[in-house]
Amino acid sequence: MATSQEIMDALADYTVQCNENKRLRKMQRDWSKLIHFNAEDTGDQFTMTVVKGEITSCEPGAKGTPDVIVTAKSEDLCDMFWGDLNPSQKYLQGEIRVKASQEDIVRIDAITMIIWPDS
Amino acid sequence: MAELKKVIKLRTVISASTGMAIATSCYVAGLQVATILVGELAWISILVAGFFCLLSALCFSELTALYPTAAGIKLFIHHAFSEKTSIVIGMFYVLLGISMVGAESYLISSVLSSVFSIINPFYDKLLWTVVFILFIMAINFRGVFLSGLMQDIMTYAMVAFMVGVSVYAFATIDINFSLAAKSAKFTLENVMQAAAVGVFLYVGFEWVAPLAEETTDYKTIGKGMLWAVGLLSVTYSMFIVAMYSGLTTAQLESGTPIPHILFGKNLFGAAGLATFAVMSILASLTSFNTGILNTSRFAYAMGRDNVLPRAFSRLHPLYATPWVAILFLGTFAIAISLATLLTDMYFFVIIMAAALECFIYVVAALCVIRLRKKKPDMERSFKVPFGIVIPVVVIVVFGLLMLGIFTDVTRDYSGRELFSNYWVAVVMAIFLVCMYAYTSLVVPVYKKRAAERAQTRVKRRPGKA
Repeated sequence: MATSQEIMDALADYTVQCNENKRLRKMQRDWSKLIHFNAEDTGDQFTMTVVKGEITSCEPGAKGTPDVIVTAKSEDLCDMFWGDLNPSQKYLQGEIRVKASQEDIVRIDAITMIIWPDS
Repeated sequence: MAELKKVIKLRTVISASTGMAIATSCYVAGLQVATILVGELAWISILVAGFFCLLSALCFSELTALYPTAAGIKLFIHHAFSEKTSIVIGMFYVLLGISMVGAESYLISSVLSSVFSIINPFYDKLLWTVVFILFIMAINFRGVFLSGLMQDIMTYAMVAFMVGVSVYAFATIDINFSLAAKSAKFTLENVMQAAAVGVFLYVGFEWVAPLAEETTDYKTIGKGMLWAVGLLSVTYSMFIVAMYSGLTTAQLESGTPIPHILFGKNLFGAAGLATFAVMSILASLTSFNTGILNTSRFAYAMGRDNVLPRAFSRLHPLYATPWVAILFLGTFAIAISLATLLTDMYFFVIIMAAALECFIYVVAALCVIRLRKKKPDMERSFKVPFGIVIPVVVIVVFGLLMLGIFTDVTRDYSGRELFSNYWVAVVMAIFLVCMYAYTSLVVPVYKKRAAERAQTRVKRRPGKA
């Protein structure tokens, strides 16, 4: 199980990777969402705010009314934020669950695919 | 857990499910139901098919309650049987499903060429087919989505229009049901044969399952499917009987691909022709657009899962849409449409779609039974009542309907034989074998390559390198 701090560290790196990727920023330029991440095994929750493709904040706890809710094991969340896991595969196996529109699901996956094309 | 900012309500689930099933090809398929049975009594077979689809909808409701995800069909076959089975059946379903575009684009191009004559009927149809598919591809590339409200307005307007026209037709046309009931064609065998083709009228209602992730309560999807099948049953029953009764014998015998347009013209003159054409275009646009939208996302996911070439997971740099998947499916749709245009065999695609739907309903019912055994304690917000009785009934009924389709002969209104349906079984079997061969021979290569890439890739997470 990954601790809350481990996930926050992963999120911090994920934020830098996303915000520094010009191709991703261009693709997500009109994508503004409030995203909740739930670690189902530890009960930890995290809130990410994306404004026009830029991640403006990541904080512990579930804040506000989300546009997207991602639920997975803490280890999978941590690996996903570090780019060590293909979220699509986990999603197709039912191990990562997403509550969102189909477009948002593709966009969440697109982040990992653009930053780490080999994942 | 917090709720989403935007959630889809029951009203939109019903309209999405209904909208996917209503297409231009349904009018021709409905007339085929009327031809097999007795026109005025087509409603019996349509209601029978609707009742069986209702039972199947119960199975899909339980599966959606178990796996409320856009990856639904692949996921529940995977867990019920194996990953290989889920890939074979998933790709078989998606690829043959997109073949329906062949019939749909042929028919909508027939509608457009009957309204706007440019060169000659053949080239007009060719032009409209290509324009129609390119238009759908363009809006998919651009990532244009129908809002829930827009979907509601379009679908409920189409349903209200069909019901309204039917009521008007019943009031103005003399329909003799008792005489029809005395016809020699009115037999139980014909009722069931017509019901098998009638399944086509409901094709796509289950494609609403991917919306589960946008609802507050997963049961909404199940309820929506049941309401949609009910709504479709009533609407089609009325409209097909009205349309059949509103066409002249000469029009029926001509084997026209645009019976609804002729019906509109008979009923309201030029205004009817124009209104029915607009409704037809709307129906084709919504069903075809949703078809490409869902299948391209499925192909994208398969690309990401190393089942299809990685190119399928490429996203458009500006719109984040899976452009390679859209391009491939659009090209495939154009090829099927051209083949339909050159051969005029749109009935072949319709019959194949009906058989494919029967097949997938059998698979869904088998999944319900298998998952009850394999995962008895997994949370289900909806469970089909009466144990496994209903899934077993679905397997038997749709299995028999599928066999009934394969052993039948497709004829036009005047009784002329068009083709033997066993050819449909042959084409489907070839597709299934190709999918099996691809999954057995090619997919392991992609999976192996992906595993090798993963091994050589340095883990970024601290302590896991």
